Amino acid sequence: MPRHITLTVAEAREAGPGIRHLTLRDPDGWPLPKVRPGAHLDLQVPGLGGRSYSLCGDPLVADAWEVAVKLEPQSRGGSAWVHGLEQGATVEAAMPRCTFPLAAEATRHVMIAGGIGVTPFLAMAPVLERQGADWHLHVLYRAGQPCPQALAPWIAAGRVTCHDSTRARRPDLAALLGAHMPGLQAYCCGPLAMLEGFEAATAAWPEGSARIEHFTPPPLPSDPSARPYRLELARSGVSDEVEAGGSLLAALRALGAKVDASCEGGICGACEIRWLEGEPVHRDLILTPERRKTHLMACVAQCASDRLVVEL
Amino acid sequence: MPTEISWTGQVEHLHITARAFLPMQPQQQIKLIAGEGIEGDRYRIGVEQGFYSEKPEEGRQVTLFEAEVLETILRDYKIELLPVEHRRNITTRGVPLNWLVGKRFHIGECLVEATRLSVPCRHIEEILEKQVFNSMVHRSGLNCRILEGGTVRIGDSIRPA
Ligand code: FES
Repeated sequence: MPRHITLTVAEAREAGPGIRHLTLRDPDGWPLPKVRPGAHLDLQVPGLGGRSYSLCGDPLVADAWEVAVKLEPQSRGGSAWVHGLEQGATVEAAMPRCTFPLAAEATRHVMIAGGIGVTPFLAMAPVLERQGADWHLHVLYRAGQPCPQALAPWIAAGRVTCHDSTRARRPDLAALLGAHMPGLQAYCCGPLAMLEGFEAATAAWPEGSARIEHFTPPPLPSDPSARPYRLELARSGVSDEVEAGGSLLAALRALGAKVDASCEGGICGACEIRWLEGEPVHRDLILTPERRKTHLMACVAQCASDRLVVEL
Repeated sequence: MPTEISWTGQVEHLHITARAFLPMQPQQQIKLIAGEGIEGDRYRIGVEQGFYSEKPEEGRQVTLFEAEVLETILRDYKIELLPVEHRRNITTRGVPLNWLVGKRFHIGECLVEATRLSVPCRHIEEILEKQVFNSMVHRSGLNCRILEGGTVRIGDSIRPA
């Protein structure tokens, strides 16, 4: 159900090449909901819908949220809108969600960021530091450091290593990560090519010991086994046929259901709904096996049975 | 079968919030305004919070929740739900809220009438990141109308009218 929080842009400034940093507050300065490090905020872009940006401020700061957004000429329009926001502007957002959490049980955290992918780690850094955790962040970039102001104290403290690929060869991810050891947790946020490199470098690691956060959803392969099915909305009692490979999200909306969406690629969590009957084919990148027993991501899910009943 | 049970209880915690999605704020005392709601709270009638779908309504001027339910949720579901998290205004002890629908009772110097049981909202799981919805079904507190306003303080007695 789309429900939004209204926020005011309390400060807008540059934070590295092509990057705009916003500080968002409640219009009357009330404390905002608690967030976990690694959480993202879906800003509602007028005419476009939700766009996810990682929160990059210290989660302990209760009355402000921070995002840093890189202008992407190829993007779907969200970054250009953010870059046009000035101090005093009003924005709407959905509740922050965390699909990229810290591993509580880890004894050492190694993080790799590509460019503006540094943002979730800027929120994790103060949390790890307060816990007295053993952690290190590698920031890889070309043409200027992202968020230099926020990184400076961590660089000075020896927690962050910067790798500028215009000056030296891009480091090998496997070399940065080293071999897996018990208690080691790795994280990566950056462009798709970097995530693929990271996944290759950690392919032999134990399950769950290497986490990734996507900027943009990877393209979904078309599914040759996709089949048509009947979609039923349990609460409103309406139903319709969904054609093979058709969008469940679109079908739900056509039936009058209000479902939020942002990435439309199974990575942000905005379109999560409960399902009651049928055999969903999940295809998202975020739900745990446990959660899949009751929930699905409507933007990417399909159905392997004749009927799919959802709680709407 | 007895038609009335006898009980008296008290106010254990007080919380309000100015907006539906912001954290509840603990208070030492709150001001109930007859026919409207609580000063500063999101559900006060006449104070438009147009952005939100949680609109003020006649029968929900003040909301109550049992401290005992928090304890049973911890016992039965191993989920720690804090007084600040259930999103009702008054956390009570010793008051059988589920029995009081349609009844009038005093909270300190105020008089309220219970309109209906509160229902939990799935949204609470998202806010708290705790899977607490199922544990709150049928014991999610009570909505009331304010007949006589005044100040409610922590420790005030709650008793049948
Ligand atoms: S819209 Fe992002 S997961 Fe579906």
